[in-house]
Formats: sequence, C-alpha cells, structure tokens
Amino acid sequence: MRDGDPGRTVRAVKTNVDVERLQRELESICGPRRVSMRAVDLDTYARDMWPRLLLSYREGVPPAHRPHAIVWPEHIREIVSVVKLARELRIPIVPYGGGSGVCGGAVPILGGITIDTKRMQTLRSVHGEELVCDVEAGLNGERFERELARRGYTFGHFPSSIYCSTVGGWLATRAAGQLSTKYGKVEDRVAGLTVVTGRGEVIETDGPNRALRGPSWTQLLLGSEGTLGIITSARLRVSPAPQLRVFRGYEVDDVAAGVEAIRRVSQKGLRPAVIRLYDELDTLINSFSHHDAEHPSSATASHEVRVPVPRVETGALPAWPEPPAPRDDGFVDRLISLAKGKGLRQNAMNAALGRSELVNKLFGAAEKVARRGCRMIIGLEGARIRTEVEAALTFSELESAGARDKGEDPGWAWLRHRYAVSYRMSPVFRDGAFVDTMEVAASWERLMDLYHSVRTAIGRHALVMAHFSHAYPDGCSIYFTFASTAPDAASAERLYDTIWRDGLEATTRVGGTISHHHGVGLLKAPFMAGEHREAMAIFEAVKQAFDPAGIFNPGKMGLKVGTR
Amino acid sequence: MMSPATPPSLVQELAAAIGAEYVEELAEGLRVTPGSAAEVAEVIRRAGARKVAVHPVGAGSRPSRFYPASRGKPDLLHPGPATRGQTDPLHPGSATRSQPDSLHPGSATRGQPDPLHPRREPTDDRPRIFISTSRLDQVLQLDEQSLLVHAQAGLTGLDLERILAPRGLSIGDYPPVVLTSSIGGIIAVRTPGKSSARHGFFEDAVVGVSAVLADGRTVHTRVAPRRSTGPDLSRALCGSEGTIGFITSAVLRIHIKPEARLVAAYLLPSVDAAISAIYLAIREECAPSGLRIYDAAEAACHFDGLTLPEGHALLCAGTAGPTDLAACDRDLLTSAVIAEGGKVTDHALADLWWRRLHAGEPTPGPSPTLQIMATPGKLRAVYRALQATATQLGATARAHISRFDPDGAVMFFTIERSGELADDTTAAAEHAAEAAGGWLLGARAVKLDAYLRALRDALDPDRIMNPGTL
Repeated sequence: MRDGDPGRTVRAVKTNVDVERLQRELESICGPRRVSMRAVDLDTYARDMWPRLLLSYREGVPPAHRPHAIVWPEHIREIVSVVKLARELRIPIVPYGGGSGVCGGAVPILGGITIDTKRMQTLRSVHGEELVCDVEAGLNGERFERELARRGYTFGHFPSSIYCSTVGGWLATRAAGQLSTKYGKVEDRVAGLTVVTGRGEVIETDGPNRALRGPSWTQLLLGSEGTLGIITSARLRVSPAPQLRVFRGYEVDDVAAGVEAIRRVSQKGLRPAVIRLYDELDTLINSFSHHDAEHPSSATASHEVRVPVPRVETGALPAWPEPPAPRDDGFVDRLISLAKGKGLRQNAMNAALGRSELVNKLFGAAEKVARRGCRMIIGLEGARIRTEVEAALTFSELESAGARDKGEDPGWAWLRHRYAVSYRMSPVFRDGAFVDTMEVAASWERLMDLYHSVRTAIGRHALVMAHFSHAYPDGCSIYFTFASTAPDAASAERLYDTIWRDGLEATTRVGGTISHHHGVGLLKAPFMAGEHREAMAIFEAVKQAFDPAGIFNPGKMGLKVGTR
Repeated sequence: MMSPATPPSLVQELAAAIGAEYVEELAEGLRVTPGSAAEVAEVIRRAGARKVAVHPVGAGSRPSRFYPASRGKPDLLHPGPATRGQTDPLHPGSATRSQPDSLHPGSATRGQPDPLHPRREPTDDRPRIFISTSRLDQVLQLDEQSLLVHAQAGLTGLDLERILAPRGLSIGDYPPVVLTSSIGGIIAVRTPGKSSARHGFFEDAVVGVSAVLADGRTVHTRVAPRRSTGPDLSRALCGSEGTIGFITSAVLRIHIKPEARLVAAYLLPSVDAAISAIYLAIREECAPSGLRIYDAAEAACHFDGLTLPEGHALLCAGTAGPTDLAACDRDLLTSAVIAEGGKVTDHALADLWWRRLHAGEPTPGPSPTLQIMATPGKLRAVYRALQATATQLGATARAHISRFDPDGAVMFFTIERSGELADDTTAAAEHAAEAAGGWLLGARAVKLDAYLRALRDALDPDRIMNPGTL
C-alpha cells in the first residue's frame, strides 16, 4: 500500500470520545464490574515498564496518554463485541497483558479501550502425544509453566519477566526465554493462534497442520504487538519436563574468543539450553554479584532487593526468598554497590555515570590489567541420556576452543539469580539515574562489528556493558545494559533518546536487527523503516488486511496512523 | 488454450530490457527469462502498467555456477535500500539459455505432474507473461562463518547441495525429492513434507527473502538469526505461490556436513507399534535425520518380495551428527523399538532405503495414489481408516509413512485391486482419511481467504501476480 494508491482505505481513529456512551456500551458487553474509567485505573494502564516513562513518573508528572476505558473480558465473544464497538465508535484498542513490556507498546497514545486479557487465563488442555497444549492468552507466565510442570511438561520459555508477563504478551512481541538456545524463541513454539482481528472476526491460524497452503498467518500475526488484532489463545508446543540439568561456568581470554567458542558449539548440532558470555565489564560486575558461588551462605543475603530464587535442586519454579539477614558489607560488597549504584550516595553515583565514557575506559583498562578474562555460563537440560551425551560433547568443544572450566558453582549461581536482573533497576531509578537494556542481534560474521559499534555508540553517553546470549547456528543476540544520569527529567529523556538513537543506528549500519526479543512499541518505531526498508510495504498491507479501520494499537511499530 | 496476444509494444519493450533472446511468444502467453532481480522488476513493472498477468515458472535442474569472488563479494545478505530502476550489479549476463521444464510454478517434483498445480486455464482474458527463473541460478553469497547462503530463486535444491558439498556444507536432511525443485518453488509453495525430522520445516530455514512486488518494487526482508521487530515479513512471501511477490532469491540456513551418518532397520509387530516407537524416541529427544515406516505389503513391493510376518512393519531410520550423538540417537531409537516389541533387522534394508532416498536409486512400483498428512495422534486412526475403506471397496491399501516433523508425518497410500491401481476408490479414501483426522495434501486455510484477498488488494489491486492461484 502506498500513499496515493487508488482505493486505499484511510485508517483513522477519533480522538474525541463520548465517554458516557462508551461506558454504557462496554458495561452492556462485560458488565459493570469488568469495566473501569476510574482515574487510578486509567493512570495504571497509561504505561508499561518502558524505562523512559519512569523518568517523568518518578518526578510525579502525570501520564501524557491515558486510555478512555479499561475492560477485563472473560470470553472471546466479549472481545469480539468490544472490537465491533471500537470500530463503530472509531476509537483505538490497546491489548494489555502483564504490562511488563519495556518499549511502550501498551501506551494508549490516542486513548481508546485498553483490553486486559488477564481474566482469560485457562490452560485448557495438554495433548501429550502431540506435545502441544491449548492455552488462553492472559495466563501469567509463571503459572503457565507451573501448571505444565505439574503435568510433566515444560514450554521452555523463561523470560526474566516470567512473574509479570502473560502468554499473549510473549506471542505479541516474539519474546525469548533464557533457555532459547534449546527451546527456541516463542515464535518457534507456536502451532496455531486464535485471534480477534480488527475486522471483529475470530480466526484460527494453521492449527494442527502447519503446512497449509498460503502464507503462514501464524508467523504474520506473531510479533504484531496488538496492531493487527488481539491474540486470545494459542496452541503451543511443549516438551517433556527435563530429567537432567547440567550447569557449569567457563572463562575465556576475551570476548572474541568466547564468541568463537559459542559459535563452534552452536554449529556442531549441539543444543545447550543456555550459553551466555559476559564482556569484561559485565564479567567484573557478575563476578561480584555472584560471589555467593564461592560463599554459598550469602546466596540469598547478598541482594538488598528481594528477588525470586529458583529451587534449582528440584527443577521447580522460583520461590520468593526470606527477608535478608542484616550483615556487614565487606569490600567486595562495596564494589558491587559501586557497580550497581546501590548504597552509594546519590551524588557520587551520578558523578560516576555523568563521566560514563571515562568510566567505560577505566573499567576496560582495569579489566585488561587484571586479565580476568570473560565469564561464560553454560547449561543443558532435557532427557537424561541425550543431555549427558550433549553435555560431554559441548564441554569438550568449549575446551578445545580455549575455554577454561570453572566448575559447576558459577552455573548454578546464575540459575539461582536468573530472574534478578529486572529487580535491580528500581534502585538505580530511585537514586536519580536511569538504566535500560538494548538487545540486538546479528549473524556470526557481523557479531563482533555489532558489539564494537554499539558499545562505542552508547559508551559516549552511558556506562555500558554487554553479554552475549540466545545463540543460534547462524548468529547470536547481544544484550547491552547501559546506565546514565541527567539533572532533570527533560534532559534525562533527551539523553535517553540519544543513546537509543545512536545505538540502533549503529546496529542498522552494521547489518544487525534492532530488536531480538523486547519488541518495538513506541521506542523503536522510528527505526522500523531502517530495519525493514521497502518490506514495510508488506507490513502495511498486512495491517490493511487485518485492521482496515486502523483501530488496533495505533502509532506503534512505525505503521502509518491517521486521526480524525 | 491460446492466451490473448501480448501487446506488441510490450514485447518490444521487454526484448529491449532483457534481451530479445530471452523473450519468447508461446501459445500460452509470453515467456521471458530475466537474468537478474532487476530485470524481473523491470518485467513486472512493465506488465503491471498494462495490467498483464505475470506467472512465475520454476526452473529445472541444470549445471550452476558459484558466484565468482572476483566480482567483489557484494553483500546481499545485508543489502542496502533498493532503488527503483537500479541495475543489478550481480547480473552475470553470460548464462546460457535453458528451458524451464514446465509452466507449473513451484512444481513439487520436476518432471511429474504436480497435484497442487494442474495445468492452469486462464482465469480471465488478459494476456499473460510467464517469468522463468531458469537464469536466476547463482549463489550470490556464501557466509560460511554464519552458515548462511544467499541463493537465487532458480537454483534447485540439488544444485545448491552440489555447490555446498565440496565445502563440507549441506542444505540439510530434507527429502531429496523436495530439493529437485527450484529454491523459489520450494519456498513459494507450502505443502506437508517439506520438512526434516532433524531440521524442521524448510521454511524455517528461510532467513530472508528478496522479491518483486506487483508495482515493481524490490523488497529484501531483514536477515537476522531471530528478531522481534514485528511479523516475519518473509512469511508473507513463503507459501504465497507468487501472489504476493515474485521471489528472486532467498537467504537460507545451511549446515555443516555431519561427522557421522548411521542407518538402521527394525522389524515391529505392527504399524501402530512403529509409530509409537518413533514418538517414544522423540520424547527422549532423539533427532533422526530420516525415518520411514513400511507396512508389510509396501515392504514387499519396495524390497523385492521381502516377506514380513503378517501385520508387521519395517522401520528404516537414519541418524546424523557428531559420532557420539548420532550413535546416541540410534541407540535411543533402538531402545524405543525394543520397548514396543520390535527388534533390529537386516541392515542391508536400511542401506538400500538410504541409497534410494539420497543416491537416486529408483523405487519399484507405481507412485502412491494418495498422500495424507496426520498429526502424531491421528496417524494410526488414518492408517486404519484407509485400510478399512479399501477392504470395503474390494481393494487393498499399502502404505509407507515418512516426512516426520514436529506436526506429524505424511502417509503415502497405494490402493490397488487385482494388481491395478484402483482409481475409483480415491474419493472414498480421501473422505475416510479426512473423517479420521487426516489432511489431504494441498489443503488450504479457506476461512482466511478474505484476509489473503485483502492482502492482495493492498499490494496488487490489479491482480497481475499469478492470478488464479490460491
């Protein structure tokens, strides 16, 4: 579809809404208890976990965009009715899962109706022989995995947001779990979708026979972030619960050596569940934060912020830890605090982050002098016999690539703290700085270019570290973490935008993709044209086919939007 | 059937654009053989301006050339923005003319009628242009570090395999019959069976696609190992049978040739037991490179009178990978077979099966008359339903089951009466298969037709792209 095409339907939504009528109509569909126009709810659903929104939120600035109403449907027919109403009133619909998105994908920039799917949360069935399950989109990730585990299966999808994200959110963003190297990203695990489209119709894609003629509608709807319709349920592939888990830590001389080792393992036909390589700075910080591996007694006491800790010995899902016992921080803990900005006086941390380019160099130089090398974590899980064989082959391949075995402790320590990262950001924001993560990916041929280019681009403005994870035979993702500070919200937002612009432009320049698993939302929408180039015409055409009125999540993903 | 004549001015324009020797007037329409993606775009742009229909034509097998390094190694895995009218610097311009083997786009098996694509009658009275991909036969880039190959659409899978083999690389353990088609044809048409128990579906190997849209724009979908930047736009082109865009090239994942290949043959007390053994092994994460179940009648036909005990089944299996892993997979399968009451049998049967599959040795007997896809839980029911239906109609059905993938497998039935194919049973057999939960080869998501129409409306309002398909 192009501007000027004859017969093109202009997608447009209204910005002025008859809220009384809207409330009346919505209550007639869902009942008054599952519709809200209360200010506290409108504020809550005005944002997701996009860090940029936290910059003004912590200063008490009211949200710039709020929905007109929130509904909590319990049945697909209610969603169909809401979509038909939105079409009639020409107001937007924003699907909402757990609200854990970090790109602003759930922000209702033109208001409208936010549909929270969390009351559609049934794991309907598990078909053991087919190794598939049917699940509703609003089911919380942790509950989903726990219910599967009870039946002897796993979906194999363990994002760090597992406690606060939904199955539908995963599907809408093409999410990745920490064990994606074995199980694949979420889009690799989908056999079919049930979707209410922008036409107000219910469609089922693919189903039991994925190889139907025609385009793969499943793959065209996955990752659409609510711009084409709302995913209400899915048929997903499951695996038998693992019988065996093996985790170890390794050390390599530098990032390039580590990348090469991962590539060799990935291309040998081996499927470790997780393989992570931390660059020098990330290694330094991780070595501090996981020092409990050498001091097991401090395993749960080393974090001020309480985070879920998996019961690794049973393979069960994480449980909330007991409150930390008071203790005397030693030198190492003070270093961790420095790295994380915790327990540090606010002005000292801001001073360090304000000179981030210098700090980046200092950390790099210190690391080289110390010649610590880079830390690597590897884990395998699955059926007992095959996992044992794969583990032996994998460790052998790593060692032949020059990796040095550091034993099991670092691997298990990572597993214990694997959900902690999301809980470490709040203290940084509380102390006046900001932190975010940028997950990009490229083929192996381009990966080191991507690493150096993005690190340089971000490093001018922020403290930056990275780890490599989500490895595939053809390439890998890099997960940059950056932190910086600015004197006020407005300048922090400008700096934040500059960091993302420079980082993503550097990514596109070297042929990487601007997002591996966080999605696009508002954050990366301006960069979609660079990502997809002329192929955006296909996305626009798919949008036209599924949502001709343009009511679904307008303003996201770089798609055209009109208002009346 | 004669097609309306192509406007002479268009013929002249195309001859000037791509060379007169690559433009041929046939009774069915005009056949053009562009030598580059830019020339394809030029043909489609000029056809679109006159609302002339264009149909892709898959290429046949022929000697191929690897793109010479002396051309400066253009980076087409990560192409920059294409501009309208851009000439293709990769066009070698030296290809000898070769004839397409059929006018059936995406034909699944070269030289055989494609059940999905019977010879098409024109759906309207517009002139038609058949665009052959036979000159699009280059490997544009081979990234051995990332195990990616960028191949033009006219290259066949087997051609590509021949190029990769000397480098210790392989396109993967897909059924060789699938690889006889052109790359463009393989990915443009989705059918059950284009998959591998070891690698999954062929379309999952597609990392990026370059295609020409109806308005002549060339699109290149972004190449990345995985991404989270919206829908996988290449999937709009894969399976679209040329209706969304004309695929000119694709970036595919490839594999290092396995260190070891092992084959084994097993005798099991029934087809049910053989199916159970396979899925028992798969649950233990066994990842075979090939699997085939023969019922007793099929085994007798395929293996020169081999006599299995009544009701028994023969299972042939291949495993591949690092030696220890290939052996592990074979042992897992063996354990599963024993658990289901089977045993290891004559290894020579497995060798013969593998040679036929991969070395081109002919398989005796007529081609199967019916191909049914079924999910793991439905395979047994479909098999029994077909047997029962054949018996009711005074015929016998024999079958082999292969193309195992995460969604199930394809069952190939031959229904005979007194040694002759019983064609009159086909309709009843198809009905029985569907009633038992099977899917006929070439099934289509009819309920989503409105969305496909709308997608085509948006990209191809004049319906010039392969009209009459899907």
